[in-house]
Amino acid sequence: MEPYLSMQNISKIYPGTDFKANDSVNLEIRKGEIHALAGENGAGKSTLMKILYGLELPNSGKILINGREAVINSPIDANRFGIGMVHQHFKLINEFTVAQNVVLGLEPRKGRLFFNDDRANETVAGIIAQNDFHVAPESKISDLSVGQMQQVEIIKMLYRKADILILDEPTSVLTEQEIQRLFQTLKVMVEQGKTIIIITHKLAEVKQISDRITVMRQGRVVAVENTGDVDEREISKLMVGKSVVFDFSKEEGFCSDPILSLKNVSLMKKRQKRPLLDNLNFDVSTCEIVGVTGVAGNGLSELEDVIAGLTPITGGRIHLADKDVTGKPAMELRNLGLAYVPTDRLRRGSSLETSIKENIIVTNHHDYMDRSGFFDNGRIDAYAAKLIDDYRIVGERNAPIGTLSGGNIQKVILARELDRVREFVLFSEPTWGLDVASSDFIYEKILEARSRGIAVLVLSSNIDEILALADTVMVMYSGRIVMKRESSPELTREFIGEYMMGLKDDFAGSETGAVDENN
Amino acid sequence: MILQDRKLGQSMKTIRNRQILASITGLGITLGIAFVVMIAMILIMSETPGRTVYFFFAGPWLNTYYLGNMLNAAVPLILTGLGISFAFRSSMFNLGGEGQVYAGGLAATALCLMLPDLPGILGIPASLLVAITAGALIAGLSGFLKYKWRTDELISSFLLSNALIFIVDNIITGPLHDKDNNLLTTPKIAEQYWFTRIFPPSNLNLSVVFVILLAVIAYFYMFRTHQGYEMRMSGLNPEFARYGGINVSRYFILPMLLSGGFHGLAGAVSVMGTQHMLFKGFSGGMGWNGIAVALIARNHPIAVIPAAVFFAYLDAGAKSAMINSDVTMEIASVVQAVVFFLVTSQVIQHLIKPRRKTA
Repeated sequence: MEPYLSMQNISKIYPGTDFKANDSVNLEIRKGEIHALAGENGAGKSTLMKILYGLELPNSGKILINGREAVINSPIDANRFGIGMVHQHFKLINEFTVAQNVVLGLEPRKGRLFFNDDRANETVAGIIAQNDFHVAPESKISDLSVGQMQQVEIIKMLYRKADILILDEPTSVLTEQEIQRLFQTLKVMVEQGKTIIIITHKLAEVKQISDRITVMRQGRVVAVENTGDVDEREISKLMVGKSVVFDFSKEEGFCSDPILSLKNVSLMKKRQKRPLLDNLNFDVSTCEIVGVTGVAGNGLSELEDVIAGLTPITGGRIHLADKDVTGKPAMELRNLGLAYVPTDRLRRGSSLETSIKENIIVTNHHDYMDRSGFFDNGRIDAYAAKLIDDYRIVGERNAPIGTLSGGNIQKVILARELDRVREFVLFSEPTWGLDVASSDFIYEKILEARSRGIAVLVLSSNIDEILALADTVMVMYSGRIVMKRESSPELTREFIGEYMMGLKDDFAGSETGAVDENN
Repeated sequence: MILQDRKLGQSMKTIRNRQILASITGLGITLGIAFVVMIAMILIMSETPGRTVYFFFAGPWLNTYYLGNMLNAAVPLILTGLGISFAFRSSMFNLGGEGQVYAGGLAATALCLMLPDLPGILGIPASLLVAITAGALIAGLSGFLKYKWRTDELISSFLLSNALIFIVDNIITGPLHDKDNNLLTTPKIAEQYWFTRIFPPSNLNLSVVFVILLAVIAYFYMFRTHQGYEMRMSGLNPEFARYGGINVSRYFILPMLLSGGFHGLAGAVSVMGTQHMLFKGFSGGMGWNGIAVALIARNHPIAVIPAAVFFAYLDAGAKSAMINSDVTMEIASVVQAVVFFLVTSQVIQHLIKPRRKTA
């Protein structure tokens, strides 16, 4: 069968580097298929799609559409060939309505001069109805959920008559429910004759949604398969070169002194009636991993900020290592032995323009003074070199951390936090957006921390991760803890999912919220 | 994937070197363009372009008087440049330099005039100290307002400085006015306060040595002490600094105190080293030019020295061309503006900078 779109012998070397982001890549897309482009972070899939969308120019190779060569030098060219791309980060104007965002740049006019709001709404409503989107043309972007914003991005491309849609990691920001809705929409769109390329590194999704799959590794295509012919294990093997299964043996802990304990912790925002955190009670003890999961917007990120000492609570007490730390600043918590790996690695966890070395010493730079009060550069260098070695960080210690890959940035943060941790470590979304190999390394380190006798709290919206790691599993919904159980085989994705969606609540009606069973 | 990363690691060092090289070449090209613009303007505006260009470039080197004065003019610029570097490194925008210099000059002059018989060994440190304190308090106030009520320090420092200039003007023409002089100036300060000249007949004096020393100390403070580190981290990414346990709000005030202190000192050094009196309009752009110097130096204390000399050189060249030829002082201002524009917009650096890997 003649491919609808084909990219031939595409090579891309970024200036200033020696390695090939794309190395003679061939990609063939058939009309009306959902094609998954799978691979780990840095495998070259984003680069390949940026070339197709005109955001990057290849060093060599050509693109054929319907057998004819297409020269794509910019997104405008790509749009002309009917190619549209939805980025991971949305490009929307919050103050505009859905319809206004969609037509931006190609607005319907009234008498040449004036913007025709009604026509815009009508046209966009048509696209919405046709493709089974769940969003109103008149809503303001700022009132939408993340899933709906993504729909707007897709509508934008459809309005521009895109026949080939590229979706870059579309599920990374969505909840389980929103993912299912997105997949439904994609199927409707394919029925309407669209062709879809979806960039992803999540195996389950590849399996569920795609017709065919191209797997990339280290800038090359390593396999092209019909999705029905391969299973997840095989795809995983192709992506990383070895088979990875999440299965950790859980050791029994022998020690159990509570290190962190929350008593009736609440967080109210000014002028809001509904608390963001509602009467939380739990302990995290030595040699234990407590995992908290929940859908975004139900209190996980507030819990992160509260435990890290970055947001003061409005009710209750927090104890860390036998001290009342309620209302104490981050600095003091750090001195008491708090280690913390934040969700936002790029803004909170690291200072991108600063060297790896200076990122590593942020929590303990006072320890690297010589007698005259100056930094002892020799010791700092040695310490940085040691951590770079221990944590297999690929990067030079004087290089700005922003030049590293996402996985390596996370390793630097891990190295800094775990090397000195004595009592307690908080992980928030520790593997968000990371590839399988990096995630594995991080799980290894989390388990290692527990076996060193450290109390570990993991906050994650990734259910599989919580189930695989945690000794005690908790679920948050609407700022409350709605489930708390010891890890056991009967805790499954589906079981937890019902709590996450608010369908079940073990502590419904109880005045004090989640009561700690241990006390 | 891991293999790729390793290759990336190996090439990281070369990338870094290339970037440094690129930024130096970039600066070179920027300055080159600025000079071309300057020559073009001279060709248009001067009747005797050859003579004008000659004095523009060679003027400051022709005799020890010109050379010394040019270097001497760089001294306060180094100080204000350092002051701005500290503020900018901490993401604090001190736009009140002009007023802080003026106030420092006034404080020093006032002390010298009030204690005309104090021996120099006590008097000089005392007057430097009051000047530093005056500048530091004024800038520090903007920092404090930000700490207390999140007042924008850019606005508050600028407004405060503007108001101060009028107040100081008033003091010069009122209480401190030299009754025996028709000019708008204070009396001369006593001779024991004057800095020793080291390059007669020019104004260049001992302060140049101390200022260079101060730049070196500033460098060590900024890059080798924990306060300097915390200050830089707070400036680069306050969220990260707070997360790491740094008391970020402290670095709203401290860098402003330092910044103002440097500006105040610049005022005192000009009075005691060069002018020996305080006259109306005395700060003459020292504060604003400090911003330009710091931007050219990319807020690096050591780089502030050549940047300040370069600025002073442009000024001296323009003066020399003006005296010996037919052009006006404004040409130098225009050239400074062009350099300032090219450097701050970083157009050239952007064009030749190796692009970073984005995938």
